[in-house]
Amino acid sequence: MRTTRFRLVHMLAGAVIAVLLGIHMVVIHLDSILRFFGANTANTTSWQAMIERAGQGTWVGIYIALLAFVLYHGFYGLRGVILEVTTSAKTTRIVTWTLIIVGIVTFIWGSYVPIALLSS
Amino acid sequence: MANSSLKQITFKVQRYNPEDSNPPYLEEFTIPSSRGMTVLDGLIYIKENLDSTLSFRTSCRMGICGSCGMLINNYPHLACHTQIEEFHSNTLTVKPLPNQPIIKDLVVDLMPMFNVHKSMKPYIIRHDTKETENPTAEFAQTPEEVNAFLQFTYCIKCGICVSACPTSASDKLFLGPQALAQCYRYCADSRDDGQQERLSVVDADHGAWHCHLAGACSEACPKGLDPALAIQLLKRQMASQALGLRRKKRPSPVVPPLTETKPKVPFPEFTVKDNR
Repeated sequence: MRTTRFRLVHMLAGAVIAVLLGIHMVVIHLDSILRFFGANTANTTSWQAMIERAGQGTWVGIYIALLAFVLYHGFYGLRGVILEVTTSAKTTRIVTWTLIIVGIVTFIWGSYVPIALLSS
Repeated sequence: MANSSLKQITFKVQRYNPEDSNPPYLEEFTIPSSRGMTVLDGLIYIKENLDSTLSFRTSCRMGICGSCGMLINNYPHLACHTQIEEFHSNTLTVKPLPNQPIIKDLVVDLMPMFNVHKSMKPYIIRHDTKETENPTAEFAQTPEEVNAFLQFTYCIKCGICVSACPTSASDKLFLGPQALAQCYRYCADSRDDGQQERLSVVDADHGAWHCHLAGACSEACPKGLDPALAIQLLKRQMASQALGLRRKKRPSPVVPPLTETKPKVPFPEFTVKDNR
């Protein structure tokens, strides 16, 4: 049930992305709507607000989790698309390992920034 | 039938002979068509009267054998199950089923499909070899248990679902709706104990999860089956198993011998007395 487990994680990642991206969108980009409902929001897209969020563990956690799930969901989906047009087992292996390596490198690179900002 | 009711229909039939170097081309035949005439009747008319070299597969002529699947006006149909007048047109284009290699003219090679079908182990698998080799009675099955898979037993293996499937068109290694539906048919059978063997085949990169749920297979199936539903139910089985939510069910036992028999209904009295 290996492929099934990967697929289930892919679906779960989609649902988690919807939630985490929803939080990001509402807090950062829909602040005018939050203000309409009486929430006290400052200019959330300013540099100062961004640095402030970067110092909060919850936000760093949300961004790292979002990055991980987006990378898995996107790359696993891309692998599925590429595999649909290839019949070669060798190409399948190359595609799989390339995407795994690119995914891990991107994750390390992408999560370094919020961790560095949190610890500074 | 009177000649006045005959209508002239032009058949544009795709011709291809692998022994020639010519690519497939369309050849036109004009035939007389009457009410109730099927596309297969038209092809038989062409073969008998106009061009005996035309090749197509046919057998039962009543939608049972699944031999005469072909692309009629760019949609896969059984030729024997499709009347010419359904199209309300004086021209019909007849081509071989797509997503299958062409052998000649309208004859496609269904062996790849049959090989995938075979890999699904389309038979009841049980581990009580003593009973399966020397059966003593039938296996118990309730009507509800039969209904879980009954519609999928009506598959005639015509290959129309595979031809309609957009995933089969782009992914040459995709197992296809026919085989996946048959996999579900046997996995859902309460008498069967071979789910592990089958699910390990469909739990692959080009297996059940590769179905995009276009639903074209269900729409095209000439027997009214719903292979897309079978694939989704198969996915559910696989997901339950992967998450450990599936309870191990023992296959149906053999029906126990009757312990008592009902007395026979007495023969009714004659209502008309013979007074002779």
